[in-house]
Amino acid sequence: MRALPGLMGPRAPLLPLLLLCLLAAARPSLADGHPSASPFTTPPVREETMAKYSNLSLESHNISLTEHSNMPVEKNITLERPSNIKLICQFTTSGDLNSVNVTWRKDDEILETNYLNATGSILYTQYMFTIVNSKQMGSYSCVFGEKKEQRGTFNFKVPELHGKNKPLINYVGDSVVLKCKCQDCFPLNWTWYSSNGSVQVPVDVQMNDKYVINGKNANETRLKIMQLSEEDRGSYWCHAIFQLGESEEHIELVVLSYLVPLKAFLAIAAEVVLLVAIILLCEMYTQKKKEHSDDGKEFEQIEQLKLDDSNGIENNAPRHRKNEAVGQ
Amino acid sequence: MAKVNRAQSTSPPDGGWGWMIVAGCFLVTICTRAVTRCISIFFVEFQTYFSQDYAQTAWIHSIVDCVTMLCAPLGSVVSNHLSCQVGIMLGGLLASTGLILGSFATSLKHLYLTLGVLTGLGFALCYSPAIAMVGKYFSRRKALAYGISMSGSGIGIFILAPVVQLLIEQFSWRGALLILGGFVLNLCVCGALMRPITLKEDRTTPEQKHVCRTQTQDFKRGSSYSTLTKEWVQTCLCGSLQQEYSFLLMSDFVVLGISVLFMAYGCSPLFVHLVPYALSVGVSHQQAAFLMSILGVIDIVGNITFGWLTDRRCLKDYQYVCYLFAVGLDGLCYLCLPMLQRFPLLVPFSCTFGYFDGAYVTLIPVVTAEIVGTTSLSSALGVVYFLHAVPYLVSPPIAGWLVDTTGSYTAAFLLCGFSMIFSSVLLGFARLVKKMKKNQLRFLAKESDPKLQLWTNGSVAYSVARELDQKDGESVAIAVPGYSST
Repeated sequence: MRALPGLMGPRAPLLPLLLLCLLAAARPSLADGHPSASPFTTPPVREETMAKYSNLSLESHNISLTEHSNMPVEKNITLERPSNIKLICQFTTSGDLNSVNVTWRKDDEILETNYLNATGSILYTQYMFTIVNSKQMGSYSCVFGEKKEQRGTFNFKVPELHGKNKPLINYVGDSVVLKCKCQDCFPLNWTWYSSNGSVQVPVDVQMNDKYVINGKNANETRLKIMQLSEEDRGSYWCHAIFQLGESEEHIELVVLSYLVPLKAFLAIAAEVVLLVAIILLCEMYTQKKKEHSDDGKEFEQIEQLKLDDSNGIENNAPRHRKNEAVGQ
Repeated sequence: MAKVNRAQSTSPPDGGWGWMIVAGCFLVTICTRAVTRCISIFFVEFQTYFSQDYAQTAWIHSIVDCVTMLCAPLGSVVSNHLSCQVGIMLGGLLASTGLILGSFATSLKHLYLTLGVLTGLGFALCYSPAIAMVGKYFSRRKALAYGISMSGSGIGIFILAPVVQLLIEQFSWRGALLILGGFVLNLCVCGALMRPITLKEDRTTPEQKHVCRTQTQDFKRGSSYSTLTKEWVQTCLCGSLQQEYSFLLMSDFVVLGISVLFMAYGCSPLFVHLVPYALSVGVSHQQAAFLMSILGVIDIVGNITFGWLTDRRCLKDYQYVCYLFAVGLDGLCYLCLPMLQRFPLLVPFSCTFGYFDGAYVTLIPVVTAEIVGTTSLSSALGVVYFLHAVPYLVSPPIAGWLVDTTGSYTAAFLLCGFSMIFSSVLLGFARLVKKMKKNQLRFLAKESDPKLQLWTNGSVAYSVARELDQKDGESVAIAVPGYSST
């Protein structure tokens, strides 16, 4: 790590001129995906390593910090394939730029090279490297200052698999398809694991009548499990293998026996039978009661009519009144 | 026989056991209409399990709806010939069997047969007899009773939708269908509640049978020997059916039937196309879902309040007018819909449309009962719901086709609006014509016989009308006293 004063001290008067020349030279070659062109050129050592990986894509990422930021600034970057990386941090401060200490770290391990520049009140620092294997993935941070640290972190991760959180429910003897899909990424390979206690065990694909793995596209995989039994329940993991690492997804499988909903169904059926029996019994009871009282009424009405018939037509009015009295 | 009739025939109780019938009908509406709508919640599960697309799975819902409505006359025939209780219990068992067999399905075709046809048939056996039963038990508070019964549809969807979702999460779709089959078994409880009641009007049935027999004897004398036996057999067999469906020849009922066709054509697309229309004018997904919820809730409110309202003494005689007013207003709402392009404007639309949608649904059985009387109400309702089937099936796809070809919803909504307005105008026109005819013959009666003026309490005007009707060739087999009071 070179402290800023060492770089800036004796060459101070010449630096602005040098900067301008560098700017003019570097402008065209630094136009990849970065809105504010950073005033750097690539040093010769780096260029050699870059030439080896020149067929890889270049990704640039930028973090801005001020001296008043309370929280560390983080940027999550999803990386699927090996590529060249350029990380740029810029630090704005009102104080003296020369006194600011700049370091680059990977997971708290201090990194070697370090390129700085200052224009006005903004301090730029850049770190370029290539990621080709999973060991190079992780968190890279630029740290400004010693006492009061301002840190900007770039987190490199492989693409994550987003899946359903709800468990899959199936019945004994049924077959189920477990699906894993990656949104915008294309893994090299997929593998499936099932759980045996707390250990992940690979799924035995040799058993063709039990497990079938296939996938329509490169970005999804399906595991079909047939003839489900109670032992098949538990957690399943699908691993997506990339050049730069692995990501996994967890799927929960629940296997029920038919008795579970059957019990609920039988409970409802029993309730229905009970209610129907009660209602029909009530109906028969009220009908019998009505019939008894009606038979009595009918008998009296018939008797009354017989009596009234023999009287004749003149007793029209009294007949009506008598009937009403008897009927009620 | 006459003894029993005299003892048991009553006037509609307007309460007492009638409220149990209303509760039973409410449950029937929940178990049939709400369960039909909730079947669409299973579609996502069916799509993933059977690897089919949405169009294939959506057929299940169409089949259930279609079979329920198309077989509604079958339901009323069964309940007329066996008994309402047996009919509804049979329907409940059938629907429940359909759902239970559906839970064991291994392909989508199995679901079409079990969940679609069998369950739809079971629902058809329950729906119209239950509604007819309510009409028998109520006369003064008929509209309120119907309002409460029909609100089961809206309330049922409200309650069942989250419950079905929960069942699917707990037991997956197979278990959920099994438990839903158990729930639908409650239709048997509703069936048990439907105690038969013989009304005063039903006493005329033995007389009608006698009339038919004398008619067949006339036939015998009139025609030759060979065709005579054939006709006699035909009239014997078709005698009872003829009796039951004699209301089909009534001009009032024919007009009602035609207007129901147009009304059913108009009302169904809104529930399918409101959300896409709202999304197309820039309303967000949540707001569009909110519009549908408002529609559902206000539908329930409209059911009950409009029923209560039209039972008030001031509106009691104008239930028919209230019905066509509700249908006409819904049509007007449709016509205004293409002009409503923002969410604050669509909310009052939802409220108005939902309210009057609930309103006229409550009044359909009331108006039908007014026209045909309570004896034939079951069969008449069967026919009315049968007439709903084809428009329900045909209208949303036609509206969708119009939207696709014209590129906007205006044409589709205007068509539906005019269809509903035509339906209500037709009814209003028919009623006007009928009133004019009545005034005419009352005038004629007064003119022809001055003595008869003393008797014009309606009964003699009725007998003169009967002669006029016979000249016009209308059927007079039904001598329902309630008919002249409209």
